[in-house]
Amino acid sequence: MDLLEIRNLDLSFTSYKQTAHVLKDVSLKIAEGQRVALIGETGSGKSVTSKAVLNTLPGNASVDAGQILWRGENLLDKTEGQREALKGIEMSVVMQDPLSSFNPVFTIGRHLEDVLYWADRRSGRKSTSKDRRERIAQTLLKVQLADPERVMRAYPSQLSGGMRQRVLIALALMNKPALLIADEPGTALDVTTQDEILRLINELVAEEGLSLLMITHNLGVVRMTADYVYVMRKGEIVEHGPLNQIFDNPQTDYARELIGAIPPLYGEGVKDQPASSEPPMLQLENVTKTFTAKHILRPDHVTRAVQDVSLDIRKGEIFGLAGESGSGKTTVARMLMGIMQASSGRITIDGVPLEAMQGGRVDRALAQIVYQNPGTSLNPKRTVAQTLSVPLNFSGLEKRAHSHRMEELLELVGLPRHYQARYPHELSGGQKQRVAIARALAANPRLLVLDEPTSALDVSVQKRVIKLLEDLRGELGLTYLFISHDLSLMRNFCSRIAIMLRGELVEQGTPREVFADPQHPYTRALIAAIPVITDAEEAAKPLVTPEEKQRFLVSSAA
Amino acid sequence: MTSGFAEFLLRRIVGFAGVLLVLALMIFILARVVPGDPARIALGPTASAEQLAELREEMGLDDPLPLQFVNFLGGAIRGDFGNSLISGRPVAEEIAGLLPATLELVLATLIIMLALGLPLGILAARYRNSWFDAVLRIVSLAGVTMPSFLFAILLQLGAAYYLTDWPILGRMSREFSDFSGATGLLIIDGLLAGRLDITLDALRHLAFPALALSMSGIGQIMRITRSAMIEHQRRDHVQTLRSFGVPGRIVTFRYLLKLSAIAPLTIMGLEFASLIGNAFVVEMVFSWGGFASAGLEAVMQKDLNAVMAVVLVSGCFFVVANLLIDILIGLIDPRLRMKEAR
Repeated sequence: MDLLEIRNLDLSFTSYKQTAHVLKDVSLKIAEGQRVALIGETGSGKSVTSKAVLNTLPGNASVDAGQILWRGENLLDKTEGQREALKGIEMSVVMQDPLSSFNPVFTIGRHLEDVLYWADRRSGRKSTSKDRRERIAQTLLKVQLADPERVMRAYPSQLSGGMRQRVLIALALMNKPALLIADEPGTALDVTTQDEILRLINELVAEEGLSLLMITHNLGVVRMTADYVYVMRKGEIVEHGPLNQIFDNPQTDYARELIGAIPPLYGEGVKDQPASSEPPMLQLENVTKTFTAKHILRPDHVTRAVQDVSLDIRKGEIFGLAGESGSGKTTVARMLMGIMQASSGRITIDGVPLEAMQGGRVDRALAQIVYQNPGTSLNPKRTVAQTLSVPLNFSGLEKRAHSHRMEELLELVGLPRHYQARYPHELSGGQKQRVAIARALAANPRLLVLDEPTSALDVSVQKRVIKLLEDLRGELGLTYLFISHDLSLMRNFCSRIAIMLRGELVEQGTPREVFADPQHPYTRALIAAIPVITDAEEAAKPLVTPEEKQRFLVSSAA
Repeated sequence: MTSGFAEFLLRRIVGFAGVLLVLALMIFILARVVPGDPARIALGPTASAEQLAELREEMGLDDPLPLQFVNFLGGAIRGDFGNSLISGRPVAEEIAGLLPATLELVLATLIIMLALGLPLGILAARYRNSWFDAVLRIVSLAGVTMPSFLFAILLQLGAAYYLTDWPILGRMSREFSDFSGATGLLIIDGLLAGRLDITLDALRHLAFPALALSMSGIGQIMRITRSAMIEHQRRDHVQTLRSFGVPGRIVTFRYLLKLSAIAPLTIMGLEFASLIGNAFVVEMVFSWGGFASAGLEAVMQKDLNAVMAVVLVSGCFFVVANLLIDILIGLIDPRLRMKEAR
């Protein structure tokens, strides 16, 4: 008998009298001790499936048909009380976003204690406060948090993202559940931290003999953590099978497309962008940026966001700037756009120093920027046409030529003309990013700064946006500065890359050189942490010693 | 307390001192620009030119304006606002005698505002979009839009008709009029003296003025609490606790409440200003005999020294109240307490 079996589950949401059918005939099995992955893109119904199992669906959801069998018994026939008794005790969830999963005005220990107290009450166990603290401390040690007392006393804002993710795992493990549901764990974290977290989950699943339902959109994560895979699309399971079968011999077009959209890190599929032999367009010489926090009662605090960075970007190239969060990538971009002033050093564009330009900032027709999240960088109250009209007003183009230019821009980014009248909420994530690109192109810039332009998008959408960017570069002769933390994407898209660590540039070169023979240990650690989808790629990754890791990565265990 | 929070408070104190300084300057200029010679007001229309010149000399009215301001400021810091133009007694003394009455009223009002506004806001959030929420919405709108003197008059009339032995004027009944205590707050003095009858009597007198004064605050706090609760309810951390089976009432009343209390507390600090303004009128209606109604009288009679003092003391009230609220919010929210001033 399987631990969990979902049979022909149909589920719908009703809001404002509109019913959306979100799960259609979903069937899924998890045997005792099995590691199962549920993969799919945004809105495919993965998380809803897990919520149906856990009984945390929102009030407007209704199960229309099907069964959820837990150890052979249909959960949907049980009373609310009986289902509550399973929650957090027999089955637990590892929440997705460690940054927002704790109430900021309560200590971590308070959260853990309340969860344990109520779990004990529901399962009829008697426990004292001391006894509970003891159990919490043990579980925290189990997730490799070295100082449980300190973690318990801390407020959420005092812990790093990685540490909070570990606490979330501890929360799930506290009552020794049979099934662990992991909903995109570590996605919100840096790749090296994510790697640590996934390894930890793997170890714990093996040690404790848990069953795992891994919900993710990242196929690399799936390869690391699952043996059996279900592929979900628009509320339906389109394909399922053992890991190797799905990865090596996918049966459906959708699964093939999903796997094909992952940029390879090593091997034949890797694409080398041609190097540019043109003269440098943009030069940074020993650029430093420091932020000073003024204090009255103690010495001022100086943060070195960018330290002594020198690089040049040649005309027509795609220059990739890689690094983890807080490494100073975006600060560099802001400085060269002239939005922020460098504390020292020189920035020149076409040989002209930035400070000699009008207003100390780059001319609009020279450089434009595309931001990470099109959901927030577009004004939700303005139509596409209104959004595009802002840069056009500054472009020196006559008013009556605007509508023609708008049509031209939309055509460039592959959107139909009539999208001019649409509002952002009527567009998909990929379409929104296309609008953002069109907006950046409106002033005919020569340099486009792309600040993580695809990190908020699904892989298949990412692939199409990247393709669009490649085409645009050829068509319009653009130069890109591409900022990202996604090294496998950069391997294929950039003609040169630079790696940043804590404000410093630690390595620079063509992707071929850097990936074949990374010089700096940090680069090696970064590449080694990327979840890949084939064993061959895994084997090709550079090696990092634990000492090197310790030196250059922030530990999430301390 | 971390040095970050200490620094935050220090900045606030400096800021508030600046606010008071500007306030003092403005009220001083106003007092010197309005038509009417203070000395003439003090002496009345029958005084002779010599008497007038003498008093002007004594009050320093012939000094250059900047010097007058410095003297005024120096006096204010020492608690000396000169003599009342009407009664001739020191203004500070007069205010000190009236202050406890107003303090008692304002404190009671704040307590009612929180005690009713917060729970009603929580309930409105919990049963949002129900008939209960709809009724509260209308009630709170009425509370915010209707002037507090209207409530005062309605409550007074209602009490006069239906609760015939309920006191509707003054702070306490005549039989206790020779009672006086250390703090001047009758409720507390009554308790201190072991005279529960006095405390009870004072509470009965206090109930309606405080209720009338708190109406707009209740409405505001309720609305703010409701929206803060609803906003935080959607957050992931609520999902986390619910996913592990922590009961909804614990999540609401322990976790959400503390987080959602920050916004209404902030509002309360701002509300304080209009509270003092409204107290001017409500005190009149209930013959409260407090500092606020004395302020109103001073304005009507052009007792400029008293007006300046009343304005500055109200300003101090406002500033101190907001500082206390800042500290309170710091106690609730560790992010503020531990923040590194960026």
